[in-house]
Amino acid sequence: MSTEKQLTEQESLQLIQQMINKAKGSYHDTGIGPILWGSIITFCSLVTFAEIQFRFNMPFDVWLLTLFAIVPQVFISIREGKMRKVLNYEEVALGYIWTCFGISIFLLIHINTNLVPQLNTIFTDYNTLKGPHEITFDYASYSTAFFLLLFGIPSILTGAITKFTPMLYGGILCWVCCVISVYTGVKTDLLLMALSAMAMWLIPGIILRRKYLNKRECSKN
Amino acid sequence: MFKELDPILHSQLRLAVMSLLISVKEADFIFIREKTNSTAGNLSVQVQKLKEAGYIDVIKEFKDNYPNTSCKITKKGILAFEDYVKALQQYLQVKQP
Repeated sequence: MSTEKQLTEQESLQLIQQMINKAKGSYHDTGIGPILWGSIITFCSLVTFAEIQFRFNMPFDVWLLTLFAIVPQVFISIREGKMRKVLNYEEVALGYIWTCFGISIFLLIHINTNLVPQLNTIFTDYNTLKGPHEITFDYASYSTAFFLLLFGIPSILTGAITKFTPMLYGGILCWVCCVISVYTGVKTDLLLMALSAMAMWLIPGIILRRKYLNKRECSKN
Repeated sequence: MFKELDPILHSQLRLAVMSLLISVKEADFIFIREKTNSTAGNLSVQVQKLKEAGYIDVIKEFKDNYPNTSCKITKKGILAFEDYVKALQQYLQVKQP
Protein backbone atom coordinates (compact mmCIF):
# COMPACT_ATOMS: atom_id res chain seq x y z
CA MET A 1 0.00 0.00 0.00
CA SER A 2 1.52 3.32 -0.99
CA THR A 3 1.84 6.15 1.47
CA GLU A 4 0.88 9.47 0.04
CA LYS A 5 -1.39 8.38 -2.77
CA GLN A 6 -4.20 10.89 -2.94
CA LEU A 7 -7.52 9.17 -2.82
CA THR A 8 -10.80 10.15 -4.38
CA GLU A 9 -13.77 10.35 -1.99
CA GLN A 10 -15.14 7.10 -3.39
CA GLU A 11 -11.80 5.32 -2.97
CA SER A 12 -11.57 6.56 0.61
CA LEU A 13 -14.94 5.12 1.50
CA GLN A 14 -14.08 1.82 -0.18
CA LEU A 15 -10.81 1.63 1.73
CA ILE A 16 -12.54 2.30 5.06
CA GLN A 17 -15.10 -0.40 4.35
CA GLN A 18 -12.41 -2.87 3.26
CA MET A 19 -10.30 -2.32 6.38
CA ILE A 20 -13.27 -2.58 8.74
CA ASN A 21 -14.17 -5.90 7.11
CA LYS A 22 -10.60 -7.14 7.49
CA ALA A 23 -10.61 -6.26 11.18
CA LYS A 24 -13.96 -8.02 11.67
CA GLY A 25 -12.63 -11.43 10.71
CA SER A 26 -9.67 -11.32 13.08
CA TYR A 27 -11.21 -13.00 16.14
CA HIS A 28 -10.29 -16.67 16.56
CA ASP A 29 -10.85 -18.72 19.67
CA THR A 30 -8.29 -21.50 20.15
CA GLY A 31 -11.03 -23.70 21.65
CA ILE A 32 -8.87 -24.89 24.58
CA GLY A 33 -10.98 -23.17 27.27
CA PRO A 34 -14.33 -24.66 26.16
CA ILE A 35 -12.72 -28.11 25.76
CA LEU A 36 -11.22 -27.91 29.26
CA TRP A 37 -14.43 -26.83 31.00
CA GLY A 38 -16.67 -29.04 28.84
CA SER A 39 -14.57 -32.10 29.75
CA ILE A 40 -14.37 -31.30 33.45
CA ILE A 41 -18.06 -30.56 33.98
CA THR A 42 -19.05 -33.64 31.93
CA PHE A 43 -16.60 -35.82 33.88
CA CYS A 44 -17.67 -34.50 37.32
CA SER A 45 -21.38 -34.89 36.50
CA LEU A 46 -20.96 -38.45 35.26
CA VAL A 47 -18.75 -39.48 38.21
CA THR A 48 -21.30 -38.04 40.68
CA PHE A 49 -24.06 -39.86 38.79
CA ALA A 50 -22.07 -43.10 39.02
CA GLU A 51 -21.49 -42.53 42.75
CA ILE A 52 -25.26 -42.34 43.34
CA GLN A 53 -26.20 -45.06 40.87
CA PHE A 54 -23.62 -47.65 41.95
CA ARG A 55 -23.43 -46.55 45.60
CA PHE A 56 -19.76 -45.89 46.01
CA ASN A 57 -17.81 -42.87 47.20
CA MET A 58 -14.75 -41.30 45.67
CA PRO A 59 -11.97 -40.62 48.20
CA PHE A 60 -12.46 -36.88 47.51
CA ASP A 61 -15.20 -34.58 46.22
CA VAL A 62 -14.84 -34.86 42.46
CA TRP A 63 -16.16 -31.28 42.00
CA LEU A 64 -12.91 -30.01 43.54
CA LEU A 65 -11.44 -30.68 40.08
CA THR A 66 -13.24 -27.53 38.91
CA LEU A 67 -11.17 -25.51 41.38
CA PHE A 68 -7.93 -27.08 40.12
CA ALA A 69 -8.99 -26.36 36.53
CA ILE A 70 -8.80 -22.64 37.27
CA VAL A 71 -4.99 -22.88 37.30
CA PRO A 72 -4.63 -24.14 33.68
CA GLN A 73 -7.41 -21.72 32.65
CA VAL A 74 -5.43 -18.75 33.99
CA PHE A 75 -2.30 -20.09 32.28
CA ILE A 76 -4.20 -20.52 28.97
CA SER A 77 -5.67 -17.00 29.20
CA ILE A 78 -2.25 -15.42 29.79
CA ARG A 79 -0.69 -17.43 26.96
CA GLU A 80 -3.49 -16.57 24.52
CA GLY A 81 -3.19 -12.91 25.54
CA LYS A 82 0.51 -12.94 24.67
CA MET A 83 -0.10 -14.66 21.33
CA ARG A 84 -2.89 -12.26 20.40
CA LYS A 85 -2.06 -9.77 17.65
CA VAL A 86 -5.28 -7.85 17.93
CA LEU A 87 -7.84 -7.23 20.63
CA ASN A 88 -11.40 -6.77 19.37
CA TYR A 89 -14.21 -5.06 21.26
CA GLU A 90 -16.17 -8.32 21.11
CA GLU A 91 -13.30 -10.13 22.87
CA VAL A 92 -13.32 -7.49 25.59
CA ALA A 93 -17.09 -7.89 26.02
CA LEU A 94 -16.75 -11.69 26.11
CA GLY A 95 -14.01 -11.40 28.71
CA TYR A 96 -16.34 -9.43 31.00
CA ILE A 97 -19.21 -11.86 30.38
CA TRP A 98 -17.14 -14.95 31.30
CA THR A 99 -15.57 -13.24 34.32
CA CYS A 100 -19.04 -12.31 35.61
CA PHE A 101 -20.15 -15.90 34.95
CA GLY A 102 -17.20 -17.33 36.93
CA ILE A 103 -17.94 -15.02 39.86
CA SER A 104 -21.68 -15.84 39.68
CA ILE A 105 -20.92 -19.57 39.94
CA PHE A 106 -18.88 -18.99 43.11
CA LEU A 107 -21.64 -16.77 44.52
CA LEU A 108 -24.24 -19.46 43.80
CA ILE A 109 -22.08 -22.10 45.52
CA HIS A 110 -21.71 -19.72 48.47
CA ILE A 111 -25.50 -19.16 48.63
CA ASN A 112 -26.17 -22.91 48.38
CA THR A 113 -23.70 -23.87 51.11
CA ASN A 114 -25.34 -21.36 53.45
CA LEU A 115 -28.91 -22.06 52.43
CA VAL A 116 -28.93 -25.87 52.72
CA PRO A 117 -28.11 -26.05 56.48
CA GLN A 118 -30.75 -23.35 57.16
CA LEU A 119 -33.37 -25.28 55.18
CA ASN A 120 -32.47 -28.53 56.95
CA THR A 121 -33.00 -26.87 60.34
CA ILE A 122 -36.39 -25.52 59.26
CA PHE A 123 -37.54 -28.91 57.93
CA THR A 124 -36.30 -30.79 61.00
CA ASP A 125 -38.25 -28.41 63.26
CA TYR A 126 -41.33 -28.64 61.04
CA ASN A 127 -41.25 -32.43 60.96
CA THR A 128 -40.81 -32.55 64.75
CA LEU A 129 -43.89 -30.36 65.21
CA LYS A 130 -46.05 -32.00 62.53
CA GLY A 131 -45.09 -35.57 63.28
CA PRO A 132 -46.27 -37.94 60.54
CA HIS A 133 -46.70 -35.19 57.89
CA GLU A 134 -43.12 -35.19 56.74
CA ILE A 135 -41.99 -32.79 54.04
CA THR A 136 -40.19 -34.54 51.22
CA PHE A 137 -38.29 -31.62 49.76
CA ASP A 138 -34.82 -32.11 48.30
CA TYR A 139 -33.17 -28.79 47.50
CA ALA A 140 -30.28 -30.57 45.70
CA SER A 141 -32.68 -31.60 42.94
CA TYR A 142 -33.36 -27.91 42.25
CA SER A 143 -29.84 -26.53 42.61
CA THR A 144 -28.81 -28.10 39.26
CA ALA A 145 -31.44 -25.95 37.56
CA PHE A 146 -29.79 -22.80 38.94
CA PHE A 147 -26.39 -23.92 37.67
CA LEU A 148 -27.78 -24.78 34.23
CA LEU A 149 -29.51 -21.40 34.13
CA LEU A 150 -26.16 -19.68 34.74
CA PHE A 151 -24.21 -21.99 32.37
CA GLY A 152 -26.53 -21.11 29.51
CA ILE A 153 -26.18 -17.32 29.74
CA PRO A 154 -22.50 -16.83 28.71
CA SER A 155 -22.73 -19.66 26.18
CA ILE A 156 -25.72 -18.14 24.40
CA LEU A 157 -24.17 -14.65 24.50
CA THR A 158 -20.84 -15.95 23.17
CA GLY A 159 -22.56 -17.89 20.42
CA ALA A 160 -24.69 -14.88 19.46
CA ILE A 161 -21.88 -12.29 19.59
CA THR A 162 -19.36 -14.40 17.67
CA LYS A 163 -22.08 -15.86 15.39
CA PHE A 164 -20.87 -19.34 16.38
CA THR A 165 -24.06 -21.39 16.16
CA PRO A 166 -22.83 -24.65 17.84
CA MET A 167 -22.29 -22.74 21.11
CA LEU A 168 -25.52 -20.80 20.69
CA TYR A 169 -27.57 -23.97 20.15
CA GLY A 170 -25.65 -25.70 22.96
CA GLY A 171 -26.61 -22.85 25.29
CA ILE A 172 -30.26 -23.07 24.25
CA LEU A 173 -30.18 -26.84 24.86
CA CYS A 174 -28.71 -26.08 28.30
CA TRP A 175 -31.72 -23.89 29.12
CA VAL A 176 -34.06 -26.65 27.90
CA CYS A 177 -32.22 -29.02 30.27
CA CYS A 178 -32.63 -26.37 32.99
CA VAL A 179 -36.42 -26.49 32.57
CA ILE A 180 -36.47 -30.31 32.53
CA SER A 181 -34.23 -30.54 35.61
CA VAL A 182 -36.85 -28.72 37.70
CA TYR A 183 -39.11 -31.78 37.30
CA THR A 184 -36.51 -34.55 37.59
CA GLY A 185 -34.47 -36.09 40.39
CA VAL A 186 -30.79 -35.57 41.18
CA LYS A 187 -29.56 -38.52 39.09
CA THR A 188 -31.29 -37.30 35.93
CA ASP A 189 -30.19 -33.73 36.69
CA LEU A 190 -26.57 -34.86 36.64
CA LEU A 191 -27.05 -36.53 33.26
CA LEU A 192 -28.68 -33.34 31.97
CA MET A 193 -25.72 -31.33 33.23
CA ALA A 194 -23.28 -33.69 31.47
CA LEU A 195 -25.32 -33.42 28.27
CA SER A 196 -25.37 -29.61 28.51
CA ALA A 197 -21.62 -29.34 29.15
CA MET A 198 -20.91 -31.54 26.15
CA ALA A 199 -23.34 -29.70 23.88
CA MET A 200 -22.38 -26.13 24.76
CA TRP A 201 -18.65 -26.39 25.56
CA LEU A 202 -16.96 -29.68 24.69
CA ILE A 203 -18.30 -30.19 21.14
CA PRO A 204 -18.16 -26.46 20.16
CA GLY A 205 -14.66 -26.36 21.70
CA ILE A 206 -13.52 -29.26 19.50
CA ILE A 207 -15.03 -27.54 16.42
CA LEU A 208 -13.26 -24.26 17.35
CA ARG A 209 -9.96 -26.08 17.91
CA ARG A 210 -10.15 -27.78 14.52
CA LYS A 211 -10.99 -24.48 12.82
CA TYR A 212 -8.13 -22.73 14.61
CA LEU A 213 -5.59 -25.44 13.72
CA ASN A 214 -6.75 -25.49 10.08
CA LYS A 215 -6.42 -21.71 9.87
CA ARG A 216 -2.96 -21.81 11.44
CA GLU A 217 -1.91 -24.53 9.01
CA CYS A 218 -3.22 -22.49 6.04
CA SER A 219 -1.39 -19.34 7.16
CA LYS A 220 1.86 -21.33 7.47
CA ASN A 221 1.62 -22.63 3.86
CA MET B 1 -19.86 25.02 2.39
CA PHE B 2 -17.67 21.93 2.18
CA LYS B 3 -15.60 20.85 5.11
CA GLU B 4 -11.98 20.35 4.13
CA LEU B 5 -10.85 16.74 4.29
CA ASP B 6 -8.35 16.18 7.10
CA PRO B 7 -4.93 15.97 5.36
CA ILE B 8 -3.61 13.61 8.04
CA LEU B 9 -6.32 11.07 7.24
CA HIS B 10 -6.60 11.73 3.52
CA SER B 11 -3.71 9.47 2.61
CA GLN B 12 -4.07 5.80 1.70
CA LEU B 13 -1.96 4.11 4.36
CA ARG B 14 -2.86 6.40 7.25
CA LEU B 15 -6.57 6.06 6.45
CA ALA B 16 -6.18 2.27 6.27
CA VAL B 17 -4.48 2.23 9.69
CA MET B 18 -7.17 4.42 11.23
CA SER B 19 -9.97 2.31 9.67
CA LEU B 20 -8.45 -0.81 11.19
CA LEU B 21 -7.93 0.76 14.60
CA ILE B 22 -11.46 2.20 14.76
CA SER B 23 -12.83 -1.37 14.60
CA VAL B 24 -10.61 -2.89 17.32
CA LYS B 25 -9.51 -1.97 20.82
CA GLU B 26 -5.83 -2.55 20.20
CA ALA B 27 -3.70 -4.04 17.41
CA ASP B 28 -0.08 -5.14 17.03
CA PHE B 29 2.19 -3.45 14.53
CA ILE B 30 2.56 -6.82 12.72
CA PHE B 31 -1.22 -7.22 12.45
CA ILE B 32 -1.57 -3.73 10.97
CA ARG B 33 1.29 -4.38 8.55
CA GLU B 34 -0.26 -7.66 7.37
CA LYS B 35 -3.74 -6.19 6.91
CA THR B 36 -2.55 -3.07 5.11
CA ASN B 37 0.03 -4.92 2.96
CA SER B 38 2.61 -2.27 3.75
CA THR B 39 6.31 -2.37 4.51
CA ALA B 40 7.55 -2.00 8.09
CA GLY B 41 9.49 1.18 7.32
CA ASN B 42 6.64 2.88 5.53
CA LEU B 43 4.16 1.90 8.20
CA SER B 44 6.46 3.15 10.97
CA VAL B 45 6.61 6.60 9.42
CA GLN B 46 2.83 6.83 9.02
CA VAL B 47 2.15 5.50 12.51
CA GLN B 48 4.51 8.17 13.85
CA LYS B 49 2.58 10.88 11.97
CA LEU B 50 -0.72 9.65 13.40
CA LYS B 51 0.83 9.56 16.85
CA GLU B 52 2.13 13.13 16.50
CA ALA B 53 -1.37 14.25 15.48
CA GLY B 54 -2.69 12.64 18.67
CA TYR B 55 -4.91 10.25 16.73
CA ILE B 56 -3.36 7.04 18.06
CA ASP B 57 -1.42 5.82 21.08
CA VAL B 58 1.64 3.69 20.46
CA ILE B 59 2.49 1.24 23.21
CA LYS B 60 5.94 -0.33 23.26
CA GLU B 61 6.43 -3.29 25.60
CA PHE B 62 8.13 -6.66 25.85
CA LYS B 63 6.26 -9.87 25.04
CA ASP B 64 8.19 -13.07 25.83
CA ASN B 65 11.46 -11.08 25.90
CA TYR B 66 10.81 -9.60 22.45
CA PRO B 67 9.95 -5.95 21.85
CA ASN B 68 6.37 -5.50 20.75
CA THR B 69 4.59 -2.42 19.45
CA SER B 70 0.85 -2.06 19.56
CA CYS B 71 -1.43 0.81 18.61
CA LYS B 72 -4.82 2.01 19.70
CA ILE B 73 -6.99 4.86 18.57
CA THR B 74 -7.48 7.86 20.88
CA LYS B 75 -10.69 9.84 21.51
CA LYS B 76 -9.27 12.62 19.36
CA GLY B 77 -8.63 10.04 16.63
CA ILE B 78 -12.20 8.74 16.82
CA LEU B 79 -13.59 12.28 16.50
CA ALA B 80 -11.26 13.07 13.58
CA PHE B 81 -12.25 9.84 11.84
CA GLU B 82 -15.96 10.56 12.32
CA ASP B 83 -15.53 14.10 10.96
CA TYR B 84 -13.60 12.73 8.00
CA VAL B 85 -16.37 10.23 7.15
CA LYS B 86 -19.03 12.97 7.49
CA ALA B 87 -17.06 15.23 5.16
CA LEU B 88 -16.68 12.39 2.66
CA GLN B 89 -20.41 11.76 2.70
CA GLN B 90 -21.02 15.47 2.04
CA TYR B 91 -18.78 15.37 -1.04
CA LEU B 92 -20.36 12.19 -2.33
CA GLN B 93 -23.94 13.46 -1.87
CA VAL B 94 -23.19 16.50 -4.02
CA LYS B 95 -21.50 14.45 -6.72
CA GLN B 96 -24.42 12.04 -7.02
CA PRO B 97 -27.14 13.27 -9.42
